[in-house]
Amino acid sequence: MQDAENVAVPEAAEERAEPGQQQPAAEPPPDAGLPRPAGPGAPEAAGTEAVSEEVAAAEAGPEPQVRTEVEAASGPSKSPSPSAAEEPPGSHVEPRAPAQEEARGKQVRDERADSRAQAASEDAGGNEGSAAEAEPRALENGDADEPSFSDPEDFVDDVSEEELLGDVLKDRPQEADGIDSVIVVDNVPQVGPDRLEKLKNVIHKIFSKFGKITNDFYPEEDGKTKGYIFLEYASPAHAVDAVKNADGYKLDKQHTFRVNLFTDFDKYMTISDEWDIPEKQPFKDLGNLRYWLEEAECRDQYSVIFESGDRTSIFWNDVKDPVSIEERARWTETYVRWSPKGTYLATFHQRGIALWGGEKFKQIQRFSHQGVQLIDFSPCERYLVTFSPLMDTQDDPQAIIIWDILTGHKKRGFHCESSAHWPIFKWSHDGKFFARMTLDTLSIYETPSMGLLDKKSLKISGIKDFSWSPGGNIIAFWVPEDKDIPARVTLMQLPTRQEIRVRNLFNVVDCKLHWQKNGDYLCVKVDRTPKGTQGVVTNFEIFRMREKQVPVDVVEMKETITAFAWEPNGSKCAVLHGEAPRISVSFYHVKNNRKIELIKMFDKQQANTIFWSPQGQFVVLAGLRSMNGALAFVDTSDCTVMNIAEHYMASDVEWDPTGRYVVTSVSWWSHKVDNAYWLWTFQGRLLQKNNKDRFCQLLWRPRPPTLLSQEQIKQIKKDLKKYSKIFEQKDRLSQSKASKELVERRRTMMEDFRKYRKMAQELYMEQKNERLELRGGVDTDELDSNVDDWEEETIEFFVTEEIIPLGNQE
Amino acid sequence: MKPILLQGHEWPITQIKYNGKGDLLFTVAKDPIVNVWYSVNAVWYVHADWNTKHVLTGSADNSCHLWDCETGKYFFDLRDPSQIDNNEPYVKIPCNDSKITSAIWGPQGECIIAGHKSGELNQYSAKSGKVLVNIKEHLRQINDIRLSRDMTMFVTASKDNTAKIFDSTTLEHQKTFWTERPANSAALSPNYDHVVLGGGQEAMDITTTSTRIGKFEARFFHLAFEEEFGRVKGNFGPINSFAFQPDGKSYSSGGEDGYVLFLHARHYAGHPGL
Repeated sequence: MQDAENVAVPEAAEERAEPGQQQPAAEPPPDAGLPRPAGPGAPEAAGTEAVSEEVAAAEAGPEPQVRTEVEAASGPSKSPSPSAAEEPPGSHVEPRAPAQEEARGKQVRDERADSRAQAASEDAGGNEGSAAEAEPRALENGDADEPSFSDPEDFVDDVSEEELLGDVLKDRPQEADGIDSVIVVDNVPQVGPDRLEKLKNVIHKIFSKFGKITNDFYPEEDGKTKGYIFLEYASPAHAVDAVKNADGYKLDKQHTFRVNLFTDFDKYMTISDEWDIPEKQPFKDLGNLRYWLEEAECRDQYSVIFESGDRTSIFWNDVKDPVSIEERARWTETYVRWSPKGTYLATFHQRGIALWGGEKFKQIQRFSHQGVQLIDFSPCERYLVTFSPLMDTQDDPQAIIIWDILTGHKKRGFHCESSAHWPIFKWSHDGKFFARMTLDTLSIYETPSMGLLDKKSLKISGIKDFSWSPGGNIIAFWVPEDKDIPARVTLMQLPTRQEIRVRNLFNVVDCKLHWQKNGDYLCVKVDRTPKGTQGVVTNFEIFRMREKQVPVDVVEMKETITAFAWEPNGSKCAVLHGEAPRISVSFYHVKNNRKIELIKMFDKQQANTIFWSPQGQFVVLAGLRSMNGALAFVDTSDCTVMNIAEHYMASDVEWDPTGRYVVTSVSWWSHKVDNAYWLWTFQGRLLQKNNKDRFCQLLWRPRPPTLLSQEQIKQIKKDLKKYSKIFEQKDRLSQSKASKELVERRRTMMEDFRKYRKMAQELYMEQKNERLELRGGVDTDELDSNVDDWEEETIEFFVTEEIIPLGNQE
Repeated sequence: MKPILLQGHEWPITQIKYNGKGDLLFTVAKDPIVNVWYSVNAVWYVHADWNTKHVLTGSADNSCHLWDCETGKYFFDLRDPSQIDNNEPYVKIPCNDSKITSAIWGPQGECIIAGHKSGELNQYSAKSGKVLVNIKEHLRQINDIRLSRDMTMFVTASKDNTAKIFDSTTLEHQKTFWTERPANSAALSPNYDHVVLGGGQEAMDITTTSTRIGKFEARFFHLAFEEEFGRVKGNFGPINSFAFQPDGKSYSSGGEDGYVLFLHARHYAGHPGL
């Protein structure tokens, strides 16, 4: 920075800004007669002149002088604490003084400089609470009759002031107090004294917009101002506001203001010029985080939470029995989540999120976020978004934090009022962008900078919902009707922000956006109330994303819609419609010849949810919870129902990532009895019933997308017969092995049990005599051992029969 | 063929037992009037001595009554000092840790085996009252303990959804039978390697759940393999107590519905799964 004088200025200014910090002891009793040199009401109106005077004084260097005097006043033996000693005279100035004091202050002004030293001594005396205070006060009051309580000159106080009034000293003004409210404005025109007043007016006009200016200072040199000024606001918030808004303000062609916080100078001054090379972090070998994909049998893993959340296990899914890999008590405090490609397992804790992975499920990363409730991964597994309702403050957004998973560093925090529509930030399929919707605004951010794309949000008045295409950087959003402007659905390409398709819709009540998994199609479910009709009509507007101009087809539905779902990797969709108990399911096929064909409709279904196999073709229609867990397994290639089954009170259905198995479960979170998960084949054959005490949640570990090309997949499908032979052989082998094992196990169990029984019987026989003795010689071991004691009685019951004719037989 | 339905109670059955010979079946319920044995309050436990001379009942008003079995004559209340000459119990066993929820006499009457609310099992010496063996195999309350006919082993039924077999001398754990519901009662067949157990949900949940998920069947397990091999439907509520006739040819189950089902082997032999 420039020079010492600049530092001195705000110091003085700051001190005058903090009147509240004055020590009570430093305030002599009000004295009407004699205007005290630096009374509590030193004038605000004393204004700039006073400031400059003070500054001048400071520049001229009265400080050392003052200091010595202070020391003298407080007794030579004292060792004043440095801060107390450095307390300059200005600390008596009180800008927020009552108005009536101002006038007096003006008169006083002239005497101020002279009496400053005295004030200082009084101040210091007060600060230190020593008897030195008494003298100046006595003098001041002109009350000489009072006995002197002052210490003799050679008195040595053996009590430190910290000890005496540590509690008061703690609150004394600090050098830095109030410094936050000062700003420095650069590139101000350099003017002589003649035009200074005018400049001040201009400056005042510009800068008082951000808050009340309590102080200003225009350093001068050779009769001209130096071209930079200092302004002080009533509060630091105003200063921040001024920096934000006035920086870059064009006064005229030559003068563009540069506005900085005064504290920033300090901050940047202290930064070392030398750049320390960041220490190289030792490489942590986490092992193969994708080891589970190399499993010989291509089995999948899943996590299970049970015992109402106390225990969490990871299993290999196996046709026979699940094979446990890891089981831990209190692994998570609420639930767990897998990352989208299955690399990490996230656990929830009061203090944050932990990620686990590798063969032994070691901890890989931690993210400290107090009270975290919800998380979301970016699809690329590079970033983690966490939400916590605690800890958010105005200046430090912490409700939502975006983390870098690899480094564990916080990338950015955001404010958030409500987590009702989680995820609040929606990620593009490649993790390059993420977007958030607020009132009339769609904000799109880019990675890795985490800044707004093109530095500005999209203004979309009335935006209700948006969604990223899972197959490209396209955003779909919809806006409801506004008077004469129809509702519309817009598809926008990013980052170009080019609108690739806009569709206007009329009489719209609500829209829902459904993307097909590859982004090939977008279905907008539109609820409308057409004029002249009663009730709500639903249309499916189907956008063909892969065709030129994005043509749209409309499917009209007459009944209410319960559920809609696209076939993943396919062009079919399933719809549940109708009112309970007459619910039907319809399968539509979006054909290339611009037609949408209804392939099949099944009526009287017990279903409220659609679960497509992740590979497509197969679908489970489930009537969860209130529908008692009815299940229908459908093959949509020829639309046959493969099996109808039931898992009573089932609350969840989870397909494995390969589409070979499906799990239905009754979670303790929704139902308190019969908590279990059942494993089915994709055809609906029940393989296992796994009862777990207070079972809560089962989640399959996702797999990353396949590395095989379309051709390779086709080839495999072609050679399926060849493979199936191998697999069948394998199955047979393992089956015979299993049955052999079972027989063997039963045999040993039986043998062991026989052995035990034989031992027990022998003991029993040994005790026979003892038993006989206890029972008076009666043998109770055999049922008919003492038949002779039995007496037989024959009891006869007499039954009278009476016939009463009923009614009139004639 | 239908099982024989004994409807002597209007309230849930709490326990049923055969006498040593197997010609009498004692049933007690939460009835204020018990069809066989008198009690002013719900009767929770009943036990007949080995030669069926006396019967002891314990009831919810914390009283314990001794009866003559043949005549039904009431002897005295064990708790009432005025009715017994010397009101001092033979041995008092302090038990402060966890409430005793079921107990039996060990073989030869030398010890008492008690099941606790915590799932613990304690074997107390009848002479000194000292704990001889303490084990904790069950996670939750032990609802019932039944001896095998030869008294060398016993079966426990617990709220933790399992029934377990223990050796009655050493209290060594032998076998475990898993179900998906709390087990209220279990009994060992006197002549086969079978164990039957029953339960369902807790009485307080019955009205809130449908009978479809009740699982009120009597479930038969093989002793050695720990595998279920058959179920017999019958009661409309959870089964609270089981008893095999000493000859093993029939068994009875008493349920929360107030009925006692008497099933002869010929009733359930033809049952699918058996």
